[in-house]
Amino acid sequence: MPRFFLIATAALLVLGIPVAFGGTTSDPGITSTSIHIGGTAPLTGVAQGFRSVAEGANAYFKYVNARGGVNGRKINYEYEDDQYIPSETVRATRDLVENKDVFAIFNSLGTEQNEAIRPYLNQKQVPQLFVATGGTEFGRDYKQYPWTIAYQPTYISEGTMYGTYIRRTMPRAKIAVLYQNDSYGNDLIAGLQRGLGARKGNIVSKVGYSATDDNVQSEIAQLRASKAGILMLFATPKFVIQAYQYVNGLGWKPKIFNNAVSSASNVMVLSSSRGQNKRVEGSISIVFLKDPNDPKWKRDPAVLLYRKIMKRYNRNGNIKDVYNLYGMSAAFTFVDALKHAGKSPTRASLMRAATHLSERNNPFVLPGMTIRTAANDHYPMDQARLQRWHNGRWISFGGLLKARSQ
Amino acid sequence: MSRLAVARTIAAALAFAASIAFILIAPHWDKVGDIKGAQMGTYFIAIVGLNIVTGYTGQISLAQGAFMAIGGYTTAFLVTHGVRDLWTIPVAALVAGVFGFLLGIPALRLSGLYLALVTFGLAVAMPDLIAWDKLSSVTKGGQSIQLFGSKHLLGQGFNDVTVLGHTTSFNRAVYYLTWAIALVLFLVAWLLLRGGPGRAFRAVRDSEVAAASSGVHIAAHKTLAFAIGAAYAGVAGSLLVIAVAFADPQSFPAKLSLTILVGAVIAGLGSMWGVLLGAAFVEFLPVVSVHISKSQGVPDAIYGAALILIVLLLPAGVAGLLKRAASPLTTRLYTRS
Repeated sequence: MPRFFLIATAALLVLGIPVAFGGTTSDPGITSTSIHIGGTAPLTGVAQGFRSVAEGANAYFKYVNARGGVNGRKINYEYEDDQYIPSETVRATRDLVENKDVFAIFNSLGTEQNEAIRPYLNQKQVPQLFVATGGTEFGRDYKQYPWTIAYQPTYISEGTMYGTYIRRTMPRAKIAVLYQNDSYGNDLIAGLQRGLGARKGNIVSKVGYSATDDNVQSEIAQLRASKAGILMLFATPKFVIQAYQYVNGLGWKPKIFNNAVSSASNVMVLSSSRGQNKRVEGSISIVFLKDPNDPKWKRDPAVLLYRKIMKRYNRNGNIKDVYNLYGMSAAFTFVDALKHAGKSPTRASLMRAATHLSERNNPFVLPGMTIRTAANDHYPMDQARLQRWHNGRWISFGGLLKARSQ
Repeated sequence: MSRLAVARTIAAALAFAASIAFILIAPHWDKVGDIKGAQMGTYFIAIVGLNIVTGYTGQISLAQGAFMAIGGYTTAFLVTHGVRDLWTIPVAALVAGVFGFLLGIPALRLSGLYLALVTFGLAVAMPDLIAWDKLSSVTKGGQSIQLFGSKHLLGQGFNDVTVLGHTTSFNRAVYYLTWAIALVLFLVAWLLLRGGPGRAFRAVRDSEVAAASSGVHIAAHKTLAFAIGAAYAGVAGSLLVIAVAFADPQSFPAKLSLTILVGAVIAGLGSMWGVLLGAAFVEFLPVVSVHISKSQGVPDAIYGAALILIVLLLPAGVAGLLKRAASPLTTRLYTRS
């Protein structure tokens, strides 16, 4: 009998040691040499133009890995195709979390898409980091969804910047608005009205379209009938390109404001039919990243780094595609957060780091911008500059603007 | 029973057993898994439904994705109003079936290309119809409907589910639910098609004049086929919404209807043998083509090329291939008997 107890005790000890000394069980997706993160992007389908967001980020992670990774850990970024269909985003994200054991979801693209996965990720306590959308809710709802954090300036703050500028420089001009009839378009309008303040009555016509529409020809004709002097384009690239064509075709000559979603210089060049369409000249938008096509940044170290990374790690990518640089900027911020998440990061410590950022050294954003977050501030970017399209390129003007995110 | 009939029955039993074995193994195989496997199941159901309309009755329909949307939104609406998700599935079938019947009425006057255009019009319009503000009390006017965490949902959309004392993960529960329903619906379709209605459907397809002169009520059978096909799609849409605990118009794009048609053509129209492979094809070819190359445009090109190749090599789909492979054997049996 004593021998039985001896053996039993020994067995218990042996079995018990790993439990006792294993300490806190570590989160999935992380080892001492690697961290596995996931995300979704439209690699095929209607919105595949945005695919370069994920490709740019992936190229930056490869660059970081080649230089030893973060605290000895290589970043393995697995991005799945969701075809820009929210139910596919849900499926792909569940697969990444439950079957591929990712540590965090990073920079998934699209407003509806991120809304679809937000309750799930928060329920599972998986960080939903730096979403690739300006939807206000991702920063605003941090009490209900503490595992979610936004990234770029919100659509409300962008609208506010336009409204303030119009109120100051063209207080009497009548305004017509083309907008996508969802939370993205409505946020931009809400911001515009806030920026206009007492002048919000200057908005004489608002016409919405649906994201699944084919074209906005009748919408533009309707707006033109308002005889407004300013046209706001709160629309995605395809519809912005169409809008410029229809405005020109109707012989309408409004001052055009084009939202940042569609203001990439490659989109503008398309809109202007390579300089043929004069309505594009003088358009105004906001900017928060360094445009690699802008001669001003030609010798800037960040753009030189961008070109180097593109050539080495994203050889098939289009170097003129600004969305690559957007992805790199988000990847830089992720690496920054990971560095501050401790020697052996947990999901909670990474989330804590992401919500306590004070990033002044992100090379890809405009000089002087700070990416700052706090426990009660889940909006990393809230600054931007205005820019005007002139002779085939964007020229920024005025200082850095700051607008409330919600 | 002739030897041919015996051989056919044995072959059917073997194929059915192999399919069951595949369905039981698939979730444990990491290339398939629960999530993709369940999606394959919803495609399977929609393809069986389309096969009844297009394959057996000869009425081309490009609206199967639109009926999935109707089924999906029926489930989303009912769950948000406190109905248990499982009970919404038959309701979704009924609602979609009624809409299918209604679409079947104009379809009586149209055929071929014109019918394809009308049904495709419905598929194209469906996301906009959902977003139509007059319907916003039902569809939330195009805003997404989040069901996650609802206590009327299987495992609230994420929790482990316990059935008859067995506890399993949410994703696997959805997988088994989808395939259990898929198999029941498959057997129902099989029984229906080998009986009187099936013969009438085929008669309508092969020659309306001959069918009418044999006493087949053409209009009744065409609308019936549309209603049944749409009801199947309704179930598929309902299961799709339950699986992701989320509904929105973009999840039912016009492309979904094309995907189902592609699946039915690959499976082989007018035959039930290839449906599983047709469903596997539409679920996994996009995954495989993205896996081959993520470069811009390449996955779409691979998808297109594979489709062209298969239609050229297998004009009658997988079912045709199986029939050809089996024919030397069955012909010999036939000539001997």
